[in-house]
Amino acid sequence: MIKARWGKPFSVILIILSALCIITTLVIDAAGMTLSYRGHALIAGIVGLAAGFYFLPVSEARHIKIINVLFLIPMVGTFAVTVIIPFLMGIFYSTTDWDGIKFENFVGFENYINMFKEPDYLYSFGITFLFTVVNMALVNFFAFALALLCTSNSKVTGFCRAAFFIPNLIGGIVLGYVWQFIFNKVFILAAPPSMLTNANLALVAILIVSTWQYSGYIMMIYITGLQTIPKDVIEASGIDGASWWRQLFKIKIPMIANTFTVCTFLTLVNSFKQFDLNIALTNGAPQRVIDGRAVYATEFLALNIYKTAITKHDYAIAQTKAILFFVILAVISITQVVISKRNEVEI
Amino acid sequence: MLYKKRLFQGAALAVISALTLTACGGGTGRSSSAVSNNTKANTSTSSGTSSTTNTSNSADTSTTTTTNSSTPIRLLNGKVEIDEQLQQYASNYEKKTGQKVIIESVGGGVDITATIKNYNAAGNMPDIFVTTPGDLSQFRDLYYDLSNEPWVQDTEAEMLDSEGRVVGAPYAVEGIGLVYNADILAKADINPDTLVNINEQRAAFEKLDAMKDELGLQSVISVAAESGQMYWSTGNHIFSAYLTMGVDVSDKTLLNDLLGGNMDAERLGHLADYFKLLCSYADPTVLLSGTYDDQLALFAQGKAAFITQGNWIDPSLPTYGATFDCGILPYAMFEEDTSGVTADAPSWWAVFKDGKNVPASIAFLNDILMSDEGRKMFVEDAGAISAFKSSKYAPSTPVSANLFKRMQAGPTYAWDWSFLPASISQNSLAPVFELYAKDEITRDQFVSMIMTSVTDYVAENQ
Repeated sequence: MIKARWGKPFSVILIILSALCIITTLVIDAAGMTLSYRGHALIAGIVGLAAGFYFLPVSEARHIKIINVLFLIPMVGTFAVTVIIPFLMGIFYSTTDWDGIKFENFVGFENYINMFKEPDYLYSFGITFLFTVVNMALVNFFAFALALLCTSNSKVTGFCRAAFFIPNLIGGIVLGYVWQFIFNKVFILAAPPSMLTNANLALVAILIVSTWQYSGYIMMIYITGLQTIPKDVIEASGIDGASWWRQLFKIKIPMIANTFTVCTFLTLVNSFKQFDLNIALTNGAPQRVIDGRAVYATEFLALNIYKTAITKHDYAIAQTKAILFFVILAVISITQVVISKRNEVEI
Repeated sequence: MLYKKRLFQGAALAVISALTLTACGGGTGRSSSAVSNNTKANTSTSSGTSSTTNTSNSADTSTTTTTNSSTPIRLLNGKVEIDEQLQQYASNYEKKTGQKVIIESVGGGVDITATIKNYNAAGNMPDIFVTTPGDLSQFRDLYYDLSNEPWVQDTEAEMLDSEGRVVGAPYAVEGIGLVYNADILAKADINPDTLVNINEQRAAFEKLDAMKDELGLQSVISVAAESGQMYWSTGNHIFSAYLTMGVDVSDKTLLNDLLGGNMDAERLGHLADYFKLLCSYADPTVLLSGTYDDQLALFAQGKAAFITQGNWIDPSLPTYGATFDCGILPYAMFEEDTSGVTADAPSWWAVFKDGKNVPASIAFLNDILMSDEGRKMFVEDAGAISAFKSSKYAPSTPVSANLFKRMQAGPTYAWDWSFLPASISQNSLAPVFELYAKDEITRDQFVSMIMTSVTDYVAENQ
């Protein structure tokens, strides 16, 4: 009864007050004033706004719709604060001369042009693509080979699976330093100087460690794929006299084509984003001379972006590079989704 | 019934939203305060004079280590070598005054400017942080003006900003150069005091190289020129010879020319020859892929007669069981004698202007720099050389003691690399040194590549 008489003005007043509260706190924050209770006021405003809409006396159907929207707020709010707003801020900063502390000018799209004038960035692009392609091939080859081994009828497959998977559980930074030790202190005994001091061999070194680290993980996905192949098909083909190789190429691989797509894209994206191993193992070194300039020979794109921001203090350019990085990864991921969808339809 | 149910639902919803948004609210507030740092009103204008009394007032309030005082002070120390000594001093200070001081040490190739920048962006700035003049252009809004602090009159090594304000307190003077193992030189009958030009040094290296087996040496010199981790050793320390070797402390012509885009090719050529000389007598493994630990181990275990470091290696020598006597020589890259040593304040401590605890931070800073215990700690425990004229402590550790002796005999050369744009060693200098150490470029290429990369970097960062 109370609800019927007071509900509407109560809700409307609550909505208006809460909205005012939110606007005031946002204005205070934008103006740079640091009142310690502005955060609490903002939260109170949002909760009040939610309550106002909640108690609004409307039809049951509308009420349910309002509730649906209200329950979205925590998720959408979190997503906005952690992903959408920083992303928009990133695009904003890429059009300024931000140095990490403050910016003075808007430069429009200048950063997007200037970044391609840096020879080390272009080099990073090239070396990253090279690494991505080779790493993708190596990881998938070894992962599939290991998966075949670990699905064969042997007593030690369980142990092998665990053994191959474990490197993936160790973080890339730790692995990087461990392998740096191995390259610089152990392998060097057999063949000095260290692989990490040669511009070409250092890339090979990263490929070795990356393959070693990631193959076990991809292997697990291939094993799952291989286990979905019906045993009767294999047995039937065996009775028909198909050799192991014939079974592999004519039955197993076609039947897990989908798994290949998934693994290819997974390694593609992961190789392209390679950072932790890169910074720990070589930190970009050694040097290569290109066009009369010293260029860090194993500095992949992610590390180049990091170094542009952190050691060259050029946050705006780094942000611009990061956006291009995002666009490339988004295109790859969307391609993957489209291809996977198409395959699903076929099956 | 329906109303009750709704009320319950509403309460649940409110709690969930509040919980989620509390985290969000904190996040937005922090990031915006970092962005609008320079627009914020600075309320901390109380000077250091009131804060110095703070120490004595609260001296007897607490003798326990409980945190009864206000927020702890955080000090970001850039010398991981003296971390233990600072921790000890901080805990004594807390016992004495009740003020808790947290020492955070970074070092060993960590880019400190970047670390501070990240702290600042995250709204997590330490109250006292290590800084160098290379940071001035970026951090000028973060420094508290220390011009009126008592120690300013007692030193010549304070850090000034472009307006002449004192923004950094020197806590030690350090020397860089060719550190030698005096025992090995004595066995080889070489008098270190004569090794002050390139010919004398070359002759000594040759002699030691011939006696390697007899002296148990693996190589004559321990040099590390890998650019990924050791960029500071080549790009800052060895390059400093170009800026200051044989130059009077007050003469900044070479530095200013460099900042104006001009470099002396002939002088760079001397540096190239000298660096090549060091490399040709260096252990190839340490030279190309060694870390600081590898470089130091070679010297400290007596397997190398020289090391291209400085007096900061003193506290680390005992960990290798080194018992030999040491000394330090200049990077004598000329045929003429350069008999002085390169010594300067390596970095400075600045106070964060917008810190929560500015007066207490200044009180701690003044205490550690001015008090007898503080000076004793720096010199006797940390093996440093005091930056203050009135300090009565002479260092006792081997390299520092020798450096102190040579500094008093004079002359002293500055090391002006800290005035170069931040991170120039990593981005422009060390890469070229590495290539030259590996013989991938010629002497002429070394000179021209250093010149182009430095001029470009200076132009980009000013």
